[in-house]
Amino acid sequence: MALTDADLVARVLLDDDHHAFAELVRNHQSSVRGLLRQLVRTDVSLADDLAQETFLRAYKNLRSFRGEARFSTWLYRIAYNCFREEARKRKELVGIDEAQLEAEHDPQTTDPALRHDLARALQLLPLHERTAVVLCCQNGLSHDEAARVLEIPLGTVKTNVLRGREKLKRTLAAWGPN
Amino acid sequence: MGTQLNINENLEEDPFDARLRDEAVYIDDAGFTAGVAQKLPNRPVRRWVRAAILIGVALLASVAVYVLFGGVWGIAEGVTRLSLLPLPVIWLGAAGATIVVMVAGLAAVVSKASGRSR
Repeated sequence: MALTDADLVARVLLDDDHHAFAELVRNHQSSVRGLLRQLVRTDVSLADDLAQETFLRAYKNLRSFRGEARFSTWLYRIAYNCFREEARKRKELVGIDEAQLEAEHDPQTTDPALRHDLARALQLLPLHERTAVVLCCQNGLSHDEAARVLEIPLGTVKTNVLRGREKLKRTLAAWGPN
Repeated sequence: MGTQLNINENLEEDPFDARLRDEAVYIDDAGFTAGVAQKLPNRPVRRWVRAAILIGVALLASVAVYVLFGGVWGIAEGVTRLSLLPLPVIWLGAAGATIVVMVAGLAAVVSKASGRSR
């Protein structure tokens, strides 16, 4: 029988069990790396470095995880903080790149080869909408959980998700029939 | 309140969300977990283990000194002989011992600091 996140966390806390922590990493690496790849967008290796940093921070601060939220939600919050720190260090990552992609965001001029490419369409969204959509629609967080991860008001999360989804639909519709 | 409920209901019903979820790509581990596991900090030695090691070493050293010097009188004689050594030799011995302790302390501090920064 597979152990739950809570069981694995307890093992790490009680016995400093590296194998249990590795199991947690294995269970959540895809969603954390996926989120960071969506946030970073341009650099997969940077996203993986941030994901590694996320898990190392999680290990060091595991005692502060009180089990009130899901373990994955707690991880996403650490991942988002890692991303924000990195983005602050490299302003061009968010600043220039975001502006450039905003300018490019014209579905009619996009390469036809990218039709139906949901991942690509997702990457055309502004950072705040993309993050909200990925957390809520892809990773299954509730609006409330996403608001806690992103440290923004609940209403803002809902607005960002709605706008992001609408833009995604419009982009995909412009690229071709579903 | 009613608007919030509507928003949530719309999100649950919309097949577009299902498509978004379904098309989320699973990222293959490809050594990622092993890389993280390798960078995890070493397990700290438990306090009681550390205390037991220190007490054990101290006891062993005491027994070794007792045996090597031939009992209590031998130790007393050894201390008397040490006190009769010329003053510069005693100074040199004290300085040497101080340097050894300082180097060991520094090494411990550096090792602990590097362990924390990892």
